[in-house]
Amino acid sequence: MRRRLTPYLFLLPFFIPFLVFYVASILYAVYLSLFVQHGLRPPIYVGIQNYLRVLSDANFGSSLLTILKFGVIQIPLMLLIALLLALYLDGLKSAGWRAFLSGSYFLPYAMPSVIGGLLWGYLYSKGISPFDQVLSGLGLKLNFLGSRGLLWSLGNIITWTWTGYNMVILYAALRSVPAEVYEAARIDGATSGQVVRYIKLPMVAPALLLAALFSVIGTLQIFAEPFVLQSLTYVPTDLTPNLYIYVTAFNYGNFNYAAALAVSLSVITFIFSLAMLWLQSWQRRRW
Amino acid sequence: MKIPLPARLLAVPTLLLASAALAQTPAFPAYSGPPVTLTFWSWVPGIDKTVAAFEKVYPKIHIKWSNVGSGSAEYTKLLTALKAGTGAPDVAQVEYDFLPDFINYGGLVNLTKYGMSKYKSLFVPWTWGQVSPQGSAVYAIPQDTGPFALNYRADIFKKYGLAVPKTWAQFAADAAKLKRESGGKIYFSDFFSTYAPWVMGLAWADGGRFWTHSGHTWTQSLNNAAAKRVMSFWGKLVKAGEVATLPDFTSELNSALAKGQVALLVQAAWGPGSLASTLGSVSAGDWRAAPLPQWTAGGHFASGNWGGSSDVVTIQSKHKQAAAIFALWINAAPTAVALNWQNGGLFPADRAGLSLPALHDPHQNPSKFFGGQNIAQIYAQASRGVPVNFVWAPWFLYANNSFNRYAAAAVSGKMGWAASLDAWQNDVLSYAKGQGYQVKGN
Repeated sequence: MRRRLTPYLFLLPFFIPFLVFYVASILYAVYLSLFVQHGLRPPIYVGIQNYLRVLSDANFGSSLLTILKFGVIQIPLMLLIALLLALYLDGLKSAGWRAFLSGSYFLPYAMPSVIGGLLWGYLYSKGISPFDQVLSGLGLKLNFLGSRGLLWSLGNIITWTWTGYNMVILYAALRSVPAEVYEAARIDGATSGQVVRYIKLPMVAPALLLAALFSVIGTLQIFAEPFVLQSLTYVPTDLTPNLYIYVTAFNYGNFNYAAALAVSLSVITFIFSLAMLWLQSWQRRRW
Repeated sequence: MKIPLPARLLAVPTLLLASAALAQTPAFPAYSGPPVTLTFWSWVPGIDKTVAAFEKVYPKIHIKWSNVGSGSAEYTKLLTALKAGTGAPDVAQVEYDFLPDFINYGGLVNLTKYGMSKYKSLFVPWTWGQVSPQGSAVYAIPQDTGPFALNYRADIFKKYGLAVPKTWAQFAADAAKLKRESGGKIYFSDFFSTYAPWVMGLAWADGGRFWTHSGHTWTQSLNNAAAKRVMSFWGKLVKAGEVATLPDFTSELNSALAKGQVALLVQAAWGPGSLASTLGSVSAGDWRAAPLPQWTAGGHFASGNWGGSSDVVTIQSKHKQAAAIFALWINAAPTAVALNWQNGGLFPADRAGLSLPALHDPHQNPSKFFGGQNIAQIYAQASRGVPVNFVWAPWFLYANNSFNRYAAAAVSGKMGWAASLDAWQNDVLSYAKGQGYQVKGN
């Protein structure tokens, strides 16, 4: 009996915080989402009424659409850069350089996203930014934080932060390829281009899909960067789903509806993740 | 000027208080309870000096002041604390436009229980209408007002031979002239596209009404004729490149002002104070104030109002009587009103305060920054021109946010300027209905 309990006891330090801070808060959000409360008056149980409202909420819909368009461009671009960097690092002879460069690429990820957002925010601001001064010297007038430039500027911040992180995942996958495989290829007369095409890329494909999965989840959750940019420019409150949920809860004081939005976003994220995982198993069967 | 007071007038103190000419100290309530500490949220610059003066008069009430952010930043925290049931301050600064949201939320104390209704006559009439929207319960003490006037750079006006506009037609002519003469280097003015209350204030001056209600039935008209006239007017100037669209309270605007790239701002009465403290010595003495232009020359003078705040007592306060006394004193005692003006540039909601010598002292800021001009007089005239009845809906927090989206669409050319108001009206209307309000569009 004692022996059977021991492993579970070891799991407790993980499970207690997991239950209290993770599972319980999700359950509480689900519970909240079933009520409507006007101000501080007693809450009224309304069943799924809040969810019906989510379905017809134009703001929530437009935030999802914006983030979808954003992800379609930003995720492939970021993963491509990360892949090229990983391949470059993997091909480097000097172990010292490899360590130094991989550390440098990873550095932006180590910076809190609020700090990163502020830093870029100032680099984008008219009249303060050194970029702006150089560009306007060349006769170019770019408004990085204007309504047309905002998403691109945001994409740049996200790419800057996360490329290094994804590069590390891909790089680790590349390093795990046994040396014998390359040796065999070389003996068979493969060029380095062929090694990349027929060995390295298929080997990192699962890692690439994993990185894509993380990126999709991360993109659906974007919050800190646009939130920080609000102090510098007009950021639409429905730019990203999380920003809209935050505004609904804390600016309008509508916590119940915000909970319904948050639960809906989790379900959407879950569906996307499942689709990605299904893609991964399908791809494994193919290769 | 000291006037000997007839004894029979002394018997009716309210009559005395009604007379703005007499800077008579009203009888503030005494505090006889045990020593208490109150928390106070406010973003008024230098309010700590007014707080210190209060503590001298009421040694048993200690105040812990903190600036938790201005406007929306504070409201977010206040709303969350009210919802959480703990963490809200005893007293908090809330702008008039956002009061109905908090009243409706159920977070504010009705101050009539603490004897505050008898101080009604101390304040500029329309401000009392704002803190007591139903006419009976009183939910705040008026702090300051923001009637509109022009703040302009006299040096730029002189250099380019511009006349201070008395009508909006002249305003537009000046804007075109400045663009021509300066080769487009200087914007005549700035359109604050991220401040709905600024646009609404200008429409307010023109008789625009955004909400009316009888009982629980509301009528909303965010796209009223006056508002459309204001948007179309500014839209034309923005499209012509004569007026900038730099958002207020950003480093972008401050940097343009410091470089002399904007000649004029349509500013509320609290604007000169913040202009003086933001720009410091840059362009000091070059600024002047002038009355708001009118749509038709020679008619009844009208102005609108942007912002202005009140101090509320939250339901979480454990010392409501002391909190009410504090909110009253810092906004109505002559010492407090003078300090608020000098340190925070607050244009008083207190009637007697309007004639305090401190407001008209040319050697003190903000007047000093305006070349010693008696700007308080310009703003006092503006204050008298503000139409009295103006109602804000309890869903203004939403309306305010939503405005930015449509104004941004107008500025970027995606939507017509007047049409953006129609879109705003529809968006806010469907939100209010979704919140369960009985509201119809007009």
